[in-house]
Amino acid sequence: MWQYIIRRVAVGLLMLLALTVLIFLLLRLTPGDPIDAYINPQVPMSASDLEALRVRLGLDQPLPVQYLAWLRAALEGDFGYSIQRGGTPVLPLVLDRIGPTILLMFSGLAIAIVVGIGTGILSAVRRNTTTDVSLSVLSFIGVSSPAFLTALLGLYGFSVMLDWAPSGGMLTPGEPFSIGDLLSHLILPACLLSIAHSAMIMRYMRASLLEVLSQDYVRTARAKGVREFWVIVKHAVRNALLPVITLIGSTIGIAIGGAIFIESVFNWPGMGLLMVNAVTRRDYPVIMCATLLTGACVILVNLLTDIIYAAVDPRIKVS
Amino acid sequence: MQRRCFGRLIMAGIVLAASALTIVPAMAQANKTITGGFDVGPGGFPGNFHPLQATAGFTWLSTYYEPLVIYNQDLSEIVGALSSDVSVSEDSLRYTFKLVDAKWHDGEDFTSADVKFSLEFAKNPASGSLFAARLADIASVETPDEKTAIVTLAKPNPAFLAILTQIMMLPEHLLGAKDPAELANSDWWSTEPVGTGPFKFVRYVSDQYVELAAFDDYRNGRPKVDRLINRYFANAAAAVAALKAGEIQFTYVEPDDAKTFEGNNDFRVIEGDSYVINYIGFNHKVDLWKDLRVRQAVMHAIDRKQIIESLYGGAAKLASCGYVAPQIVPEGLNDYAYDPEKAKALLAEAGWDQIGGGQTIPWLTYYNSPQVGNVMAAIQAMLAQVGINVSPRAVDVPTYNGIVQSSDFDQFPLVYAGAQNGPNPASLNVNLNPAQIPPAGNNIMRIDMPELTEAIEKAMAETDTAKANALWQKVCSVMNEQLPWGSMWVASRYGVTSAKLKDFFWTPAPAGGPYQAYPEKWDIAP
Amino acid sequence: MAAVENTLASSERPRGPARRAVHRFLINRAAVAGVAILIPIVAAILSYHLWWPYAPNDIDLVAMNKGPSAAHWLGSDGVGRDVMARLLQGGRISLLVAVSSMMIATVVGFVIGAVSAFGGRFVDGMSMRLVDLAMTLPPVIFLLVLASIAGTGIVPTIIVISLLSWPVLARMVRARLLELRERDFVVAARGMGAGMPHLLLRHGLPNCIDILVVFATLQVADGILLEAGLSFLGMGIPPPEASWGNMLNSARSTLVLESYPWQWMVPGAAMFLTVLAINFVGDGLRDAFNPRADLK
Repeated sequence: MWQYIIRRVAVGLLMLLALTVLIFLLLRLTPGDPIDAYINPQVPMSASDLEALRVRLGLDQPLPVQYLAWLRAALEGDFGYSIQRGGTPVLPLVLDRIGPTILLMFSGLAIAIVVGIGTGILSAVRRNTTTDVSLSVLSFIGVSSPAFLTALLGLYGFSVMLDWAPSGGMLTPGEPFSIGDLLSHLILPACLLSIAHSAMIMRYMRASLLEVLSQDYVRTARAKGVREFWVIVKHAVRNALLPVITLIGSTIGIAIGGAIFIESVFNWPGMGLLMVNAVTRRDYPVIMCATLLTGACVILVNLLTDIIYAAVDPRIKVS
Repeated sequence: MQRRCFGRLIMAGIVLAASALTIVPAMAQANKTITGGFDVGPGGFPGNFHPLQATAGFTWLSTYYEPLVIYNQDLSEIVGALSSDVSVSEDSLRYTFKLVDAKWHDGEDFTSADVKFSLEFAKNPASGSLFAARLADIASVETPDEKTAIVTLAKPNPAFLAILTQIMMLPEHLLGAKDPAELANSDWWSTEPVGTGPFKFVRYVSDQYVELAAFDDYRNGRPKVDRLINRYFANAAAAVAALKAGEIQFTYVEPDDAKTFEGNNDFRVIEGDSYVINYIGFNHKVDLWKDLRVRQAVMHAIDRKQIIESLYGGAAKLASCGYVAPQIVPEGLNDYAYDPEKAKALLAEAGWDQIGGGQTIPWLTYYNSPQVGNVMAAIQAMLAQVGINVSPRAVDVPTYNGIVQSSDFDQFPLVYAGAQNGPNPASLNVNLNPAQIPPAGNNIMRIDMPELTEAIEKAMAETDTAKANALWQKVCSVMNEQLPWGSMWVASRYGVTSAKLKDFFWTPAPAGGPYQAYPEKWDIAP
Repeated sequence: MAAVENTLASSERPRGPARRAVHRFLINRAAVAGVAILIPIVAAILSYHLWWPYAPNDIDLVAMNKGPSAAHWLGSDGVGRDVMARLLQGGRISLLVAVSSMMIATVVGFVIGAVSAFGGRFVDGMSMRLVDLAMTLPPVIFLLVLASIAGTGIVPTIIVISLLSWPVLARMVRARLLELRERDFVVAARGMGAGMPHLLLRHGLPNCIDILVVFATLQVADGILLEAGLSFLGMGIPPPEASWGNMLNSARSTLVLESYPWQWMVPGAAMFLTVLAINFVGDGLRDAFNPRADLK
């Protein structure tokens, strides 16, 4: 077991390295560098004004030199200064943004899990009744809607028209921090984020539970006279949950991606928004650091999921 | 690496929660606050706090910093801010500034030592200042006494005062001892800056908002409101949603969104000149546009009046040259009326079929708004009618700059762009002068027309206003005749304020100004 | 969603697996409904130039932003173009993008997954690391950077969507084929010197058909949604070319959102309906291929 973990961690580190090289190259291939992002095309300024800045940032060095310099500094924990934000150190900036993203994602995930598993169980148990059909239709609708449109309509409908929720941001500016304030800002984006995810979880839960319910041991339990409720909860659901857990783990990466639309529409100060802004402004230090951290977290989550799965199901051989 | 990431994550979570819980509670609930999207739109520069690295966002910066001189409210003249009087010597080389009595936010007095420090700091490229090249003409700054500063230039520069309007005064007693290069990357600017303006800095919550509090000892009296908050928005639409929901009281809005506020008595729509001339840029290094008749045909093929009416709702001024200000536009210009038949004839004469007839010409722009998308679609259809096939390509600003500053002319034979043409008409020089071809300047279309260059340089050198206007008129007529660009129009820009705001002034100045907005007078009804 | 009627149990001759699969599909009401929705949509999209008078790119500055009327059945957009024509043309582009990216993703995903399963430990390790790398790449950056490099347009959009989709299929194919690797017939084939192409085509492909078909179908739906998302972020298909995604993009302006709802509701509804129908069909196919789906 330990050998497996160590090997996976080592491979994970190599992949992180490969990831940083890949992103570095892609960024340099993109037309326009951070200094180009500074120049407002409408303002009468000249490029030579910024030439000194370019040299100071080391952007005129050959690519391998730039990359190795970045790597050396990163290994010491120094991720440099943000170009776009006039010298804010990058690492605290990025770490500041991880919290809100994790908060949003986990809230969305929690809602999705609760709603998805609950409706999945309900739908499987009441198979082919009206409940099942309408829940399934709803789940199809959830999966078929484009994320950004739902976000836009949700913002417009619930915030502007109905005024049930604030129109964006994480906290009300200027007010002292309160959990209630945070929750009121969180509820709408988290719910919208969870729509597609809960629909997917529901469908998988339903399919998995249906598969389990047709197994012999369930028939045996029923034949033994166990109450239907306990048949479902104690025997069926526990076994049906396993593949659904893997699914949840493997779709966290997708959830990060979906969060970007939500963060963009709601101006939620998370990593997604940070990345979009940084790429638009070609803020290389921020992009590199954020990519490294995101990549590390995704790899970590995958590793944890695999370990949990292997530990829980004794039939899985860790090859 | 993962463990450190994990540990840092947990730390980050704890730090986030702890700092959130220990945020100093704001002042008593009954204080007056104005919240707005001051950095929304083209005049803003969200997230930037270093006044010498700012290319825009001066409206907000001028609520807590002040320059020596500033534009007045309609941007027609330069008046004093931290200097009460400016006198220029006969040879236009010495500027004498008499300074007002003012205090810094930390209580120290504002003196000429601060002026000397600020100007030398701005001139020093090591500080990361973007004004270093423009201030290179400064030979010396003398401070005969605490309330007088004398700046001597190496050669006359009629635009000197205009440049000074964007240079904020900085405290010598706090920054003078520090290394300029360190200050370029310092977080002083975004955590504890000190200025002389009517509001003083309280806090910045990363990518969310900036909070300022009223400065009691402001030289013109304590501001009427207690707090000023600048909220950042990912895009103008989000700001509009917040405005409609009553969470903010002011923001810049796109022209299309401004229409939705018409007739609504809870809001006031502010319309102003953008001072940006939108033009179709011909790349002078590409053979397609070498013949003047082809450029004329392009102008005749486009129904500018119809576009202004339908797509801008009438809120744009037709431009026959680079300017629309009445005192600089002479009589008798060719208005290039909409005449597709004439365009076709001109193209036939010039032999367009051989030059560019069959090609699809890439048409580059950095504008990404739906309105400009519609405008370009309309123009594309109009040009296709006469046989010119263009294909619009909208990219983001860094990509655009990366392309047009390079020598890959085939990627940008045609552009749609905007250029600042005021309040000082000399602003167009960087776009039209062959001495300003990249990397020296912003003449991205590689324009090299001797007659135009001569006219511009003569007009820039003239210091008397009346004579200068006549010379700028000559520049205008040369532009109209020789078509270095296809000048289109100057559009209006809009802001919307809540009806609760009183004595609030805003105008869509390029880069946000700065201009005299009198933030100390802004008030809000309960 | 299989509405099973067990009426066919007793007196019929046992049918082959293919016929049983088709039968399972046809019984599934939702799947049949999906097909019934898709056929007229696709037919209309492919043939509109024959029977609809307006062209999608004809501007008409006089008739801008008009609501649905006799002249323009679905109204006109910000430059006076007919919404119905743009809808149908947009359908062509969106479907083209979705189907092309599906084909590329399916082929690439299958090949990499199968090679990984049949190829031995080292090849397996390398390909799976490649897949992991592709899945770890933050899609945001990837999208934005790729779009900046490749520019906007149909081909770059297809490439971007394909690159985002193949890893999932590779993993599924590998999982399925790993089981097969140890089976006798595969061992025998390799013992007889079968090369990789033979293994892929004769053994891998037939055993993965069900995964591939279901993936391909659902990928078309995903491709449509991804294209819309890309256009929303400003990449994807640039105007004036019509696509469902960039027509939806107009909803970003509050003016259009409030005052001209037909401009975005129509492509939104069309996209939603198509994706829904494809999802029904895909789900039906998945159930059809699963021989235990009609067991109670």
